Amino acid sequence: MISYDYLASRLATSLAVTFGVSVVTYGLIFLTPGDPAEIILSQQLNRQPSAAEIEAFRAEHGLNDPVPVQYLHWLTDVFRGDLGSSYYSDTSVSTLIVEAVPLTLELALAAMLVALAISVPAGVVSAVHRGSPIDYASQLGALLGVSMPNFWLAYLLILLFPLKLGVLPVAGAGSFGHLVLPAITLGTGMAAVVTRLIRSSMLEVLDEAYVDTARAKGLRERIVVYKHALRNALVPVVTILGLQLGTLLNGAVVVEIIFQRPGLGSLLVDAVFERNYPVVQGVTLVTAIVFVATNLLVDLTYRYLDPRVQLGGETA
Amino acid sequence: MDSSRRRLLAGIAGGGLASLAGCSGASTADETAFTIGLASDPTDTSQYDNWGGMTPYWTRVIEPLVWGTDDMQPKPWLATDWTATDDTTWLFDLREGVPFHNGKELTADDVVYTFEENILTERGDFIYGWLHLEPGSVTKVDDYTVEFETTDPFPGFPGTIAHNMIDIQHPDADRQAGKIIGTGPFTLEEIQPGQHVRVERFADYWGGEPNPTELTFRAAEDETTRTDLLESGQVDLIYNPAKSRLSLLRERDDVRVDAQQSAGAVSVWLNIHRDPTADVDLRRALNHAISQEELVGTVLEGVGEPARGPISPVIDWVDEDELPTYERDRDTARELVDRSAYDGEELSCLVSADMDDGRTISQVLESQFGEIGVNVAIELLENASVKDRTNRGEFHLHIGSTGSNSPGADYIMWENFHTMGVDNKDLYEAEGTGLYNLGGKVDDLIETGYQSRDPAAKRDAYVEAQRKIMAAAVVVPLFYQEYIVAADAAVQGLELHPIERFAEWRDLTRTA
Repeated sequence: MISYDYLASRLATSLAVTFGVSVVTYGLIFLTPGDPAEIILSQQLNRQPSAAEIEAFRAEHGLNDPVPVQYLHWLTDVFRGDLGSSYYSDTSVSTLIVEAVPLTLELALAAMLVALAISVPAGVVSAVHRGSPIDYASQLGALLGVSMPNFWLAYLLILLFPLKLGVLPVAGAGSFGHLVLPAITLGTGMAAVVTRLIRSSMLEVLDEAYVDTARAKGLRERIVVYKHALRNALVPVVTILGLQLGTLLNGAVVVEIIFQRPGLGSLLVDAVFERNYPVVQGVTLVTAIVFVATNLLVDLTYRYLDPRVQLGGETA
Repeated sequence: MDSSRRRLLAGIAGGGLASLAGCSGASTADETAFTIGLASDPTDTSQYDNWGGMTPYWTRVIEPLVWGTDDMQPKPWLATDWTATDDTTWLFDLREGVPFHNGKELTADDVVYTFEENILTERGDFIYGWLHLEPGSVTKVDDYTVEFETTDPFPGFPGTIAHNMIDIQHPDADRQAGKIIGTGPFTLEEIQPGQHVRVERFADYWGGEPNPTELTFRAAEDETTRTDLLESGQVDLIYNPAKSRLSLLRERDDVRVDAQQSAGAVSVWLNIHRDPTADVDLRRALNHAISQEELVGTVLEGVGEPARGPISPVIDWVDEDELPTYERDRDTARELVDRSAYDGEELSCLVSADMDDGRTISQVLESQFGEIGVNVAIELLENASVKDRTNRGEFHLHIGSTGSNSPGADYIMWENFHTMGVDNKDLYEAEGTGLYNLGGKVDDLIETGYQSRDPAAKRDAYVEAQRKIMAAAVVVPLFYQEYIVAADAAVQGLELHPIERFAEWRDLTRTA
């Protein structure tokens, strides 16, 4: 049973981390060179804005206030549930995030499915047949997957499927077909990492006494491997998957651009380059919360996968 | 058992492939519907929420009062005529019988509403400085006449409002709900965020019923993806395909590639208030070091025109034949370097990482300047950092561009070259310097051109100012920008414009 003390302490840590992230982000974006008024106006107008236009923009968005005052205004609004509005328009940051999340989440989950579909059988087979040609082939595949830049794989997949075979859309979103190539592109790299991890974890577990016991009991090898060994081998894998999910949420920018699936990653990167501070702050805050929540979830999952694992305050 | 499992797996695989084949998303078989691949996202709400979730550009759902001719002159559109009754007052006569998409007729009330309630209220205070208008400055004279009172004498007003952002919308529009009511040849039907905007033909369009029944504007921000979309037949037309694939596209019989000179120009801008680029001999030497023809032919794959001045000649008050020329002549360049105050120090050259081909262009320039003994250090920075450095005058050379999205292009002269222009004002007021401002007579000429209502007088003043600017070698002109449209060869009737976003789709057809 997980104690309330443990949950309360984790929640307090999470809040502190999130607050720290917001302070650091706010400080960093104001330390970076470039005036948002000038950057944004020159994009909107497609020309150099005049001094009067720049001054009007700065006044309208409170950019003439000292940075700590701006931060306090932002923080106060956040506690009221308002993440502010994009400097480009009156669109609220929450709306922008809500619009970006479905595409990001859809891609992240699909990529993770692809990664698991490849890595679990490959890692297990590789470990079970250690030293065999299958093992070497699996390790070579994993090495290729890790080494291959995902933009390159993306273009190769486009070349093969839509251009040569005439199947699947080149880019876009809205159907299952649109999801296939980006998910494979993103999932392959992750599969490579997870395959290697499952292999090494399985090798350790397969040497454990309880695996020998299971075999001695006359259980079929498939049951031994997939029910007894794999479940225990997954504990370190879950950690990696949790971190990878967090990374996928805003780290898939290249894939988002190539396949025209603008999600959280593109939103954040564009906002940084445009000095669109409210959007940078909002997306960073949400991402920090997702990371913290994912980590908490991962810790709780350990408990499910291996009842021997103790979380703070628990008694064995 | 095994054989039935194999059959099942084969069936699943076959079905999967068949369903993938059905997922290709090839462009519609409807001969009168067209799909256009854009380099920017037409649904970018982070920038354009006032248009209900689509950009004001490209789609031709909404229209401004004034449009632009091919030589960047204001052209009557929803307004048929305009006159200045004094230095700050303009009367615009509206076209009669123009229906909105909801069937109601355009009147002065709609124009006043659009400016007062939408443009001057919702789109940010920067609009005041741009249009030289403030809230309360637009009034109805009669049903078809509107009066504009600018904050100061602004002869460029009609050209400035010839811009997609200054469009007229009906008061019944619900922009936040994506319900846009304009007067354009197409009506808004669907917005798929991050993906596309779909419009349909407006049969009652005042300029005549358009040919296409439907247009879909697809976002395809990556140039390789955009080119793949065209090659796979999933779009009919794209803007700016990947340069690396241009020659292959040009060889294909089923693809047509068109180039259109734009209102943009790229130059190396020289900080004339910082040593050693303050020395005119060094600046002239840099001009003699460059072969614009070579640059366009190699780095740009022929996309662009060699430039002789800092502003595109598609703008009517630019006449490059009047400008002094600097042929590539390394001997002359070296002599000028020897004569100058330059003594081998490293010159900083700022390049924005966002700039198309910026890295390659800067590497070529670095080599060509090196050949005349001038040592240049390229700094590839993100756009905001470049602006920050240029604002503080902490550079010698900067590769940058000028351009305009409306016929009102006077600001190029004012903001870049006038002492009180945005590029120079802060440094001038703080230190008595600037960046690209020669001051004196050039300032006078720019003021004359800016305030002139007579096109010939404006042209004379601006051409004379540009002549002085080039004689003093304030910039090293590189190329006038072009943009490329690649289309299925069967697609005909596209009218391109120096302002990319002014493209006219009404006559699009597909030949057999």
